[in-house]
Amino acid sequence: MATTTATISLSSGDIADNRLLLSNTATLTNAGNDTGMTKTTGLTRVELASTSPVTLIDAGATTRLNTIAKGKIYIKNLNDRGDGTKFVTLEMHGHEIGRLYGGDWAFFPFDGGADNDILLDPFDATATTLEYIIFYEAS
Amino acid sequence: MATTTASMTLSSSDILSQAISLSTTATLYKGGTTATGLEQMNYHRAIIPTGTNFDLIAESDALKDNSNYVYIVNKNTDVTHYVTISINQEVIGSLYAGDWLFMPWSCDLSAAANDSSIEIEAFTAANTIEYALFHVGETLPTQSDS
Repeated sequence: MATTTATISLSSGDIADNRLLLSNTATLTNAGNDTGMTKTTGLTRVELASTSPVTLIDAGATTRLNTIAKGKIYIKNLNDRGDGTKFVTLEMHGHEIGRLYGGDWAFFPFDGGADNDILLDPFDATATTLEYIIFYEAS
Repeated sequence: MATTTASMTLSSSDILSQAISLSTTATLYKGGTTATGLEQMNYHRAIIPTGTNFDLIAESDALKDNSNYVYIVNKNTDVTHYVTISINQEVIGSLYAGDWLFMPWSCDLSAAANDSSIEIEAFTAANTIEYALFHVGETLPTQSDS
């Protein structure tokens, strides 16, 4: 097994009267036990240049050596924020999850299997560069 | 405006032949702006019982069509305990004991009612979770005292 940790820190000196500092560290383990995840895509960089939705993660078995049972994804929009109107929409199950504006990142768990693909839908055709890494448990 | 940052570090010394150490920071801005920070937040702690899929963060008119950010952590310690996070009853993923997520959230009122609300269901046992929503606005209920 491997030991991989993800630490988040949310901080603000002025969103409330008292300073906000939330911090947590998770060890990335397989579902329902404390065995560390041993598989990863490695850090990947992609560039989108159209407004058509693209499948970032085919959660089925068609494009991977292993079928993903459970995974965790980190993804970041590396673009500058620009004028604040350009973003990439994260979609799953045909539903919009949220928008990654330039500089934004996300880290969340996902299930593998058919129909659980993660899609990216760029707002416009301006080249958008993202990087992502997936840690997963094979089924 | 406020300045709120979300930082993350991913690290592993043994999942690859070379160590991974990845760090990033984002400032939480309002959508459609270049540098206007989100000014509002909610921070909650809740015990989620098993057996029901609840609306954890309900969509509302004040939250729609903009950038909101959600942080959820499962504070249980038994590794078999978990919650599922879903939107419109479609599971995004599972947060086991100690797991957390941070993601943007779009409140979309254009389709069926509650279709973009963030839902949570506990499995194996009641799960204690904490969650924060950094948001653009909140619809407070009008008082209805007689």
